[in-house]
Amino acid sequence: FRPCPIATVARRESRSHAGDSSCASLAMAEVEETLKRIQAHKGVIGTIVVNAEGIPIRTTLDNSTTVQYAGLLHQLTMKARSTVRDIDPQNDLTFLRIRSKKHEIMVAPDKEYLLIVIQNPCE
Amino acid sequence: MPEFSSPRFLHHEGYYKARTQANFYYCYLNIQVFDEQGKDVTPRPLYRPEPSASLHRQSKILSTQDFSGATGSDFLSSLSMHQTSGVNASLVGPFSRTYGSSSISKSTTSTTESIADEIVEPGSRRDTAISLSDVLVRREEIKEQLTKEDIDKRVDIYLTETETIWLLDMPTVMVSIESEDAEKVKERNKDYIELCKNRVGNDCFVERMMQTLNGAPKNKEVQCDKILMEDKGIMATSWDLYDSFNALETTLAPSVTERKSITSSSIIDLESVILARIHEEEEDHSEAILKSEKFQQDLFFMERVLMENVFQPKLAAYRQLPEEEEEEGEEEEEEQKEIVVGSSILLDLSEAPEEILPPSLERLWSYTCELTNGHNVSCMAWNKLNPDLLAVGYGQFGFQEQKKGLACCWSLKNPMWPERIYQCDHGVTALDFSLANPNLLAVGMYSGTIAIYNVQTHNTTALLDSSESFDKHIGPVWQLKWIEQDRGTTGDDKGEILISISGDGRITKWLIRKGLGCTDLMKLKRTASERKKLTGEKEKKSEALISRQPPGMCFDFDPRNTNIYLAGTEEGHIHKCSCSYNEQFLETYQAHKGPVYKIAWNPFSTDMFLSCSADWSIILWRQDSLRPILTFSSTTNVVHDIMWSPKSAFVFAAVNEGRVEIWDLSVSTLDPLIVTFANPGVKFTTVLFARNTDCILIGDSDGIVSVYELRNMTASDSNKV
Repeated sequence: FRPCPIATVARRESRSHAGDSSCASLAMAEVEETLKRIQAHKGVIGTIVVNAEGIPIRTTLDNSTTVQYAGLLHQLTMKARSTVRDIDPQNDLTFLRIRSKKHEIMVAPDKEYLLIVIQNPCE
Repeated sequence: MPEFSSPRFLHHEGYYKARTQANFYYCYLNIQVFDEQGKDVTPRPLYRPEPSASLHRQSKILSTQDFSGATGSDFLSSLSMHQTSGVNASLVGPFSRTYGSSSISKSTTSTTESIADEIVEPGSRRDTAISLSDVLVRREEIKEQLTKEDIDKRVDIYLTETETIWLLDMPTVMVSIESEDAEKVKERNKDYIELCKNRVGNDCFVERMMQTLNGAPKNKEVQCDKILMEDKGIMATSWDLYDSFNALETTLAPSVTERKSITSSSIIDLESVILARIHEEEEDHSEAILKSEKFQQDLFFMERVLMENVFQPKLAAYRQLPEEEEEEGEEEEEEQKEIVVGSSILLDLSEAPEEILPPSLERLWSYTCELTNGHNVSCMAWNKLNPDLLAVGYGQFGFQEQKKGLACCWSLKNPMWPERIYQCDHGVTALDFSLANPNLLAVGMYSGTIAIYNVQTHNTTALLDSSESFDKHIGPVWQLKWIEQDRGTTGDDKGEILISISGDGRITKWLIRKGLGCTDLMKLKRTASERKKLTGEKEKKSEALISRQPPGMCFDFDPRNTNIYLAGTEEGHIHKCSCSYNEQFLETYQAHKGPVYKIAWNPFSTDMFLSCSADWSIILWRQDSLRPILTFSSTTNVVHDIMWSPKSAFVFAAVNEGRVEIWDLSVSTLDPLIVTFANPGVKFTTVLFARNTDCILIGDSDGIVSVYELRNMTASDSNKV
């Protein structure tokens, strides 16, 4: 039984507002928790978070693979976003999934980062 | 008249215009170039034109032009510059003319009329003395002193058209037949042909050789600075235009946004940028990224997408999509809101089995995570608005085994981790979602506390808690329900109230007052007076205040009339009560020998209800009869939970400890239709039908909620018994 780091005990007196730093650390903990869950998920080969310059922030793969994935997917995301917005400039790309024979690459793009998860859906 | 000086010198001519109104005269200024030693190195002219030839042309130009007031000095300097490049006036006869004309057209403030007159004069006066045809106008060093009046004076500027300057004139060699000259031309042509013919032996024509003089060419080299060229390419995409336009608009409006506008530099050159980075900045920035809300959202979606990939066939079966071999039919779209938005997924409710397979339960997946391991599932409830959201309460039933409880909200899209986790001090024994406010979840605990959570926020503290109210429950809250009721008494119309029944024998109505949600508790005090005439000791209850009230275990409201409800007690009695009477029961149904754990009205035929109890039996009653209609006892285990199927009037599910049974009364009243056994060591404790699909959820004592699909049930949706 692993104690859950997110939840607070539902006591009446614990309704005080947490300070900013603890809020941030709480959010950070939650983010780490979710990342860990995703990484530990069945079939997930790797998880990469890169920032806008292509520098990996979090990765479970080795550096060369990470950099390769980051660079290539960055370009692809740009192209995909350009395509989507060319058709309708008010639209924007939210998620990108590439399914290949061996696995599926899922990219959540943003202006500041790229979240990449490679999964092998066991089918 | 100034003399024409030595032809060896290149000299410029200039027209010197004196400020005086006197005669206009010109002086020739000879330009001489001296090198450092003082030697005269003025370049010699290469060609000396005939002065007369260019004179008249020149004068014509002058007469028509306004050439006053070219600024002398800088003109002179430019001239001197050109001198080195060997501008020979004669050679560049035509050029100079244009040159001159351009310079002439520069005009500053000056009186013009007088000049115009005077121009004519020099033109006429000029004769062969003007050797060179250059019409370089230059001004002497004497500048005109512009007085203040001059500046304010109104100046008229006349623009005239210069004479047409022919640079190239190629007259046609063809004349139309219809023109006037045609005859003449024809004549001439004829003559010429005659001439040519006669030329052959004629004495007038003699063949002679000629030699043309080739002028000596001169090489000229020019050097200039390298012209730097730069290529810049850009792709003007429509979104780029849109963004730039929007960016313009937003900069006009004083709105502060931290996001950079997407400019055309979105094509980032990764390699070059990676090289130049400060470590500190990187770290801060990456932390910021990780903490940003967008990132959390993306993680959230990513998790769901992963789940979808893994569970896709099962989810498709849940949604009753037709089975296909390929991975098509992915219907799980990304929903932004997870809870209160109603899902718009199409339901395919028709199921017509082609083969006659026996009905069975097929396990799809389980809602479980490590947090819930070891807990006993005590209650489950669907969200009223979003039929994919499930709330599960975890808490032990027995007194001995009490430990901290848990209430989780699970979403269909993520069977491996709950969306919300509420830790509770005590075991959770009952929960229900509100109908009027679908984000409110009421949780009842073993300690008698009722807490209300708002599942929309991520806040894990309870919105409301009853632990501090006066009349909170003392015994475990065994059932909770939100009921829509006409509240004629207090003047509110159609409010929703929360009803709970607990082990201290009370059925209480909870109200959430407007405002900040203080709970106002209004009790329907149930004195569970037994009408058992056999045993005498129970009669004491109706008298004393400290009467021991039998714990109420369950209740259910009549779907047609929310004033009437049934309540089951630990003694095995089922009382029919009304909200309007809080002293007396309307009826009592006694047939069970053990605590009645669950009562369920038939949703279709509302005269019937089922009750299950610890005496291993399930009893079907009819409202008007005090005798049971049917009794189902198939096992020797405590029946924990029953539920009618929302689709059929005949089907209900029951869980006893070791197995789950689906009964279909239209088929058989003696045996259940489907029986599924639990894993050894695990007891089934709760059952719940899914409303929008043919699945049932079964909770067990290990904290696992399994989703089973009912297969091959013949569709029986008759509503009548």
